[in-house]
Amino acid sequence: MNLSSRMVIVLTAVGLLSGGFLASVGILTKDRIALNKKMEIERAIVSVVPGSVASVTLYEEKDFIVYGGKNEAGDLQGFAIYTSGVGFQDKIVLMIGADASLSRLNALAVLDQKETPGLGAKIVDRTSFLVYWENKDFSQPFSLRKPPAPSPDSLTASEVNTITGATISSEAVLNIVNAAREKVKALREEGKLAPGGTHAE
Amino acid sequence: MELVTLFIGAILINNFVLHYFLGICPFLGVSKKIDAALSMGLAVTFVMSLTAVVSWAINHLILIPYGLDYLQIVSFILVIASLVQLVEMFIRKTSPPLYQAMGIYLPLITTNCAIMGLALLTALKNYDFAEAVVFGVGSGLGFTLAIVLMAAIREQLEVADVPKPLQGAAIALIIAGIMALAFFGFSGMIK
Amino acid sequence: MPSRTASQDFLKGLWQENPIFRQMLGMCPTLAVSNAVINGVAMGLATAFVLIFSSFLISLIKKLIPNQVRIACYVVIIATFVTIADRFLAAFFPPISKSLGPFVPLIVVNCIILGRAEAFASKNSPGRSVIDALGMSAGFILALLILSSIREVLGSGTFLGYKIMGAWFEPWVIMVLPPGAFITLGILMAISLQLERKKREK
Repeated sequence: MNLSSRMVIVLTAVGLLSGGFLASVGILTKDRIALNKKMEIERAIVSVVPGSVASVTLYEEKDFIVYGGKNEAGDLQGFAIYTSGVGFQDKIVLMIGADASLSRLNALAVLDQKETPGLGAKIVDRTSFLVYWENKDFSQPFSLRKPPAPSPDSLTASEVNTITGATISSEAVLNIVNAAREKVKALREEGKLAPGGTHAE
Repeated sequence: MELVTLFIGAILINNFVLHYFLGICPFLGVSKKIDAALSMGLAVTFVMSLTAVVSWAINHLILIPYGLDYLQIVSFILVIASLVQLVEMFIRKTSPPLYQAMGIYLPLITTNCAIMGLALLTALKNYDFAEAVVFGVGSGLGFTLAIVLMAAIREQLEVADVPKPLQGAAIALIIAGIMALAFFGFSGMIK
Repeated sequence: MPSRTASQDFLKGLWQENPIFRQMLGMCPTLAVSNAVINGVAMGLATAFVLIFSSFLISLIKKLIPNQVRIACYVVIIATFVTIADRFLAAFFPPISKSLGPFVPLIVVNCIILGRAEAFASKNSPGRSVIDALGMSAGFILALLILSSIREVLGSGTFLGYKIMGAWFEPWVIMVLPPGAFITLGILMAISLQLERKKREK
């Protein structure tokens, strides 16, 4: 056979074999990968809505999802808000846990961040940062205390500590939470947080 | 406006070379003279912008709807190789002087991890079409900025007395480190 | 081509033709994932997997592939193995997959792999190609180990995640950031070139 047809045959064969191989690998790993992603979200929801054993998606749009955490009785234990915003260098992804009446913020979980190691990256650390975000007042916007207070008790219910040397990362988290707070309250007022889910247009 | 933020971020804050470590081979290899660096940078920017568009289209119109995301790597690399081939043929036919200026760099661009990196990052960050285009153009310009700056510094180095072991790649890497440090100062520019 | 013993084929990848320090290939992933030893080792192993299997397969079918389409075929073969490595990590080691980010898929444009395919696998027997691939992989992992050890110990005070520097040590954060990567690799390269020069002068 001449060169052209040989080229075509070889290319097609390699392509088909590769495609077939990849398809089997793809199918074998697809479920596992989806499961990993789902488990990461579930773990975050349970950590910020204590007492929840299952979750349901109440509202979803690009980069902003509101989950409802259900307790053992099947009632709504609280809301877990998946949101993100600009940090020092890249996106910070948070899971915000609030109670069912949206009046208390339970806790924050940082799902993804690329802040400066040793400084901004401390936002994932409980003792340096996240403990100040536990059991706060969700009915008002939050503000930062600078210089940081010595202990969580010396802050008001709407104040959180900055990390020394990482003001920008601390402010970034603050802005993300405040924006999410306004958004979820508006959604609740518009009745969009009913079980069954609503998708943004 | 978010697109403007994305654009500036791609050039200064998340610079492809100095932050993402993509495109190091051409960055070290083609940065000895400013005009060569500029041609390479512009060629890369051009291919990057095209790649952003085409890879986005393939990803969102074919791969994801049909659940074929495991074919991402293979399709992206084939797209890039074909794009570079087409661009080279097109430039050779339509503008021989332009081909003289930058045509030789084009085949090198296929294995330039910056292009593949762009396709992958655009997919990873789930950008929509407008964001993908802005990211592609911005990243290309960021690469161009880095490589031209490096060439400017290296041209000065030609007349400096660099110790023997440091000559070549080693001093280039150290300079890149200092540049990366300088660019770090841009972080936090955007809130 | 000079004939070499099998062990020489392996050992050359470690020093004389070390892919990073000598051939200057594959620097992008080296700089990016060397901020922690576990990342460096994982990347090295993933690259080794792709390098060994692609070299083997390419060497096996080298006579069947017409010259004009060889690069396209090599790229498809390499991309296939890279996808396998990437999906495997994402499925079974999600935290490592996350830290390595887009750099596992980027193995497909890692010049080491295409470079070895062109320079060696396409011209040698499958057995030799595997040995060459093993040597290059070992050299790559060695380079990654050295660079990431320095960066992790000085930059975070840890090694493989375990704190090994005492509380007195204030980590040099810059080491785990891009500038530290560039400067450290630059210094290592200078050292390796100087060692080679001294060796040749003997």
